[in-house]
This record gives sequence, C-alpha cells and structure tokens, in this order.
Amino acid sequence: MPEAAYHLGTELGRAVNRMDFFRLFKALALGQGFQHFVLFEVGGEDEGINLRNPHVLHNLPDSLIDAAGGRPLGAGDELLAACKPSTAAYGVAPGAGASRILDAIGAATMIAVPLHTVAARRYCLMMLGDRGLPEHETLAVVALDAALIFQRYHDAILSLDSISGLNDREIQIVRWTSEGKTSAEIAIILGLSEHTVNSYIATVLRKLHVVNRAQMVASALRSGLIA
Amino acid sequence: MTTGQTEYPLKILLVDDDPAEHLLLRRTLEKVDGPPIELEYVADIESAVECVKGGGIDMVFLDNRLVPNNDFRETAPQLRHAGFIGPIGIISSDISGSYFQEFPEFGVDFRINKNEIDRAAISFIIAEYTRNQLSDNCAEDFS
Repeated sequence: MPEAAYHLGTELGRAVNRMDFFRLFKALALGQGFQHFVLFEVGGEDEGINLRNPHVLHNLPDSLIDAAGGRPLGAGDELLAACKPSTAAYGVAPGAGASRILDAIGAATMIAVPLHTVAARRYCLMMLGDRGLPEHETLAVVALDAALIFQRYHDAILSLDSISGLNDREIQIVRWTSEGKTSAEIAIILGLSEHTVNSYIATVLRKLHVVNRAQMVASALRSGLIA
Repeated sequence: MTTGQTEYPLKILLVDDDPAEHLLLRRTLEKVDGPPIELEYVADIESAVECVKGGGIDMVFLDNRLVPNNDFRETAPQLRHAGFIGPIGIISSDISGSYFQEFPEFGVDFRINKNEIDRAAISFIIAEYTRNQLSDNCAEDFS
C-alpha cells in the first residue's frame, strides 16, 4: 500500500479551517513526490483558475501568481481544458511547451483528481511535480485520499455557504455590527483576530445573500435573527 | 503573494523559549518570495504582551508550551486581552493533542506543526491572513 494514507487519521477529522486543509493537501502532494498542488473550482468556460475564488487552495510559487497579475491562471492551457470533461483521476506527462503552467514551475508531470460536491459543483485537485507518472494503484489511492480530504473540506468550509441560519458566534458578530462596531472593535470585544471576525462576516453575507454590512444587519433584523 | 490590507514589511513576532527556533524561522523566512518580512523574537509571554502593546506587530507565531505556562490556552488569551487583533498561529512539534481542537475558542487563528513550516506554508499563511476577505462595498461606515 502506498504511503499516501498516512496522514488521514486523526488529522483529517480534526481539520477545521483553510490552513488545516492546506496542510492536508500539501502533505498528500509531498507524500507522493509532487511539489505543488492547486484545488480549484472548475468553471463552465475555458477561463482558467480563478485564484481569487475564496475556496481555492494551493502552494503554487509566488512567481507564478505574481506573473498572472490577478488574472485567472492558465486560461487556454490544454492541461486545464483536459480536466473539464474528465470524471476520473488521470496523470499526464506532456512534452515541453505543452503547458504554460507546467513550464512556469518547471514541473514535468501532473495528476488531476476531479471532485464533486453534493450540490454538483465541480472541483479539481491538480498536483504538479518532477516525478514520473504514478502507477494506477498509486493514482487510485491518491484519488481516494483527495476525495476524503475534499469531503471534509466541503463539510467544514464549502457547505457553510448553503446552510441556512446563523450559529451563535455569527449572531454575536451581526449583533455587534448592528451596534455600529467595526471589525477591529468586535475582535477586541470577543477576543478574536480581525481576520476571524471578517471571515465570519463574509460567511454571513453569503448565507443571507447580501453584499454589505447594512444589508446584513437589515436582513438579520427582518428575519428575526437579531432583535 | 496575494496582499490585503497589511502595509509591508509584514512584521511577525515569534514567541518561543527555544532560541534555536528563532534561527530556524529566520532562515525559512529568508527563502520566502515576495514583499519583505521582519521577524521579531521574544522568549516569554510577558515580553510578547509588551511587544504587541507597543504596536506594529502584524502576526504572532506562538509556541504551544512556554515554560512555565501549560499551553496556548493560557498564553494566547493574554495577547488578546492586550488588544492584539492580528492573527495568532500556534506552532508546536506535536499538534496531535485533542485540546488543539479548542484553538478557535482561545482566539487562535491556526495551528501548525514546526516540521511543516517551510516556504510554501509561510507564503500560504501570509496570503491567507492578510487578504481582504470583504469587498469594497462592505466598508465599515454603513450608517
């Protein structure tokens, strides 16, 4: 049995935030000899990887990201296009010049694992590196590990967008926002970081289908989430 | 590296009673591409509290067990009580203890094993915890 599953013990069940999932996907990639990974949502068009999507995870080199200049990564790249019609994991070792992404990071091999949420949103985990193509058995284990991590990622992070209702912490933050407190002030009051407070606000905005704090407070008042 | 609201250079405070960790982290940070990072170092939580009270610290890497404290559950809240609202990451050579699951309740943003800290992990941490998660139309003043 390949060693890919070594980290899927307690660490998987304990993962709660994006940092934890970054660690898990990175361990999966490195454990199989791949230097880089990127988990991204597969769009309908050939628009590349939108690194600004809040659910993207990757350890791509900064030089590649800086070169993209905020634009989607790999638009028109054949390597990316190949993952759209695929529903099974596969690996490729294209020749030099066949993929700008591989060339840019000096990788020779890529494997792609298509992933799906229960709401039929499509994601893909790509691993890139300079090792050879894995055997089918190894690819199967990687695909299973990736699916298990992704399922946990969905349960802990992605599904928050579709869960109705707010948890106690979110209600606290909406309530303080309705009192006119800023994120920094709420962070001090609740003993959290400003990043965490903004993360809660971003989640509440998505849950309530609103785009700013005023709408968030108004929506919460109207629906009786806060008095 | 995705940048958010933070003005560079980013100032990271390492709190660890083992000076060797300071040297190791400094060497790792030197390998990170992108905007400059300044590393401050203190060996105990009292010095860390004074440091964050002085201002200018953007992020704290806090060793889990600082003698004579037990673990982060005793130390991280002291930084929050001092008014620090930047990200706090707990670093440890062993993060398998079940009590680590409580980290969000103690004002901690993330935990990471010391042997996982490399250039890629630092880049991710900085991108993740300095990015602006809210759009421009989500300004603070909405009255």
